Amino acid sequence: MEAMASTKEWVRMDSVSKVYPNGTTALQEVDLSVREGEFLCFVGPSGCGKSTVFKLITGLSGATGGTLEVMGTSPQQARKQSDTAFVFQDHTLLPWSSVVDNVSLPLALRGMSRKQRREEAEQALELVGLKDYVKAMPRQLSGGMKMRVSIARALVSKPKLLLMDEPFGALDEITRQTLQLELLDIWSRNKEMTVLFVTHNVFEAVFLSTRVVVMTPRPGKVAATIDVPVPFPRDASFRTTPRFGELVRSVSEALKH
Amino acid sequence: MREEIAAESIALPLRSASPNGAAAAPGAGRTTRLAARLRSALPPAVAFLVVIGGWELFCRLAGMKPYLLPKPSDIVAAASANASNLWVSVYTTMSEAVLGFLLSVLLGVGLAIALASSKLVERSIYPYAIVMQTIPIVAIAPIIVIWFGAGMNAIVIIAFLIGFFPMLSNTLIGLNSTDHNMKNLFHLYNASPLQTMFRLRLPAALPFIVAGLKISCTLAVIGAIVGEYIAGIGGGKGGLGYAITVAAARLQTAYLFACGLAASLLGIAFFLLVSRLSKWLLSSWHESELNSSEG
Repeated sequence: MEAMASTKEWVRMDSVSKVYPNGTTALQEVDLSVREGEFLCFVGPSGCGKSTVFKLITGLSGATGGTLEVMGTSPQQARKQSDTAFVFQDHTLLPWSSVVDNVSLPLALRGMSRKQRREEAEQALELVGLKDYVKAMPRQLSGGMKMRVSIARALVSKPKLLLMDEPFGALDEITRQTLQLELLDIWSRNKEMTVLFVTHNVFEAVFLSTRVVVMTPRPGKVAATIDVPVPFPRDASFRTTPRFGELVRSVSEALKH
Repeated sequence: MREEIAAESIALPLRSASPNGAAAAPGAGRTTRLAARLRSALPPAVAFLVVIGGWELFCRLAGMKPYLLPKPSDIVAAASANASNLWVSVYTTMSEAVLGFLLSVLLGVGLAIALASSKLVERSIYPYAIVMQTIPIVAIAPIIVIWFGAGMNAIVIIAFLIGFFPMLSNTLIGLNSTDHNMKNLFHLYNASPLQTMFRLRLPAALPFIVAGLKISCTLAVIGAIVGEYIAGIGGGKGGLGYAITVAAARLQTAYLFACGLAASLLGIAFFLLVSRLSKWLLSSWHESELNSSEG
């Protein structure tokens, strides 16, 4: 857990609010601090503002109140430094590009040479176990494999901050659990990578994270933050331990408020 | 269905194909496919023969005057008697249609990219593009003849104008209907507007562009023939439209039929060619062409 001791603060939110022009309050005075090496899960029902938090941190939309810093600067500025990467619920692969071209897209947009980005993409594909599918087209892959490619595309730029918005939300339970284990495996090999993971699944949040941020709706706010002080590596057996059950129960309790 | 056939061809590798494919037994391996194709082609072929035969018979029995309704055999005779003229006409119309079509594709897609790059430009120009689309080309064709002179130039421009707007509006709709998540992705990875256009929006618009191609290619043939009605010049180099006006004036009805037939064949050939191209463009990824390419 040495990463937890790091003092680098990758995300800092001070009473951040987001009010949409039509008057709905999506977020109300959220305070949050994310340190380097954390695996932070946002969990809550739909409408609790967890996706709004995601959009604010990526800089896709702006806060209407409070201050928000990502890697010590504004979200837009942080994005320009290319230290952040993104995975969405939808795999967002280009259907006309091969797997390797999809994975190397972030590098291509930065103008990296074809040869170099191909090497990087192959490394990233190896991390997600799809080295043999370099030339495949997205339509030839299953839902789980498409999501693996999408994750490889995020990892290819070796990000310091990985933002994931319900990435496994559209997958079946068995595939979802496999991908959770694979994601933890990838993260545990590079503990400097900070992961922010949005989900509506309490089990997923507890299984993956070092800390769970519980959010409640109307208006969206942080109801509780619950530490998950269970050491890594975690494997599938963690799901059946009493500790897991207790943590799931306390997250569920916090969701009721 | 395919699996069944494959299984049968493995199970019965030694059974030879019967010589007449159409009557082949259902399990005759490789020829089964050919037989199936012949079987599906047989009914329309029979219908064709019945109609043509009936037409020929009707004209002979009723003693139809050939300038009112020529017999199919008259049409074939007229076509073969004027084969070289007909070929020149087809060739001329084809070149005009192809040139007009290529111009409409280039300028249609080009202008759509320009319009889609800036909301302001799109908002200021697109309404006029729609208004211009509603102008019947036939109505302004004489103006084009005045500007560009009778002949090839004016005809190509008429063929171009008629195919231009379907290309423009289809491409523009395609460019503006890019998936929102994909656009976010490009935005988040700091893609420039040019990168977003050529790596995301244009390829994503390809199915729409291809739909435009299919519309414009048939319209270009129509445009070329209409153009020849108005701006066609003779001198042994006139296109089908010119040949049609001449044949109609001389009451050469059989040759008129032959010209009409040639024009339809030209249109069909052009359409099939463009369909082939679109299949090739989209075959690797898009749903609309996946089944056919995998079938």
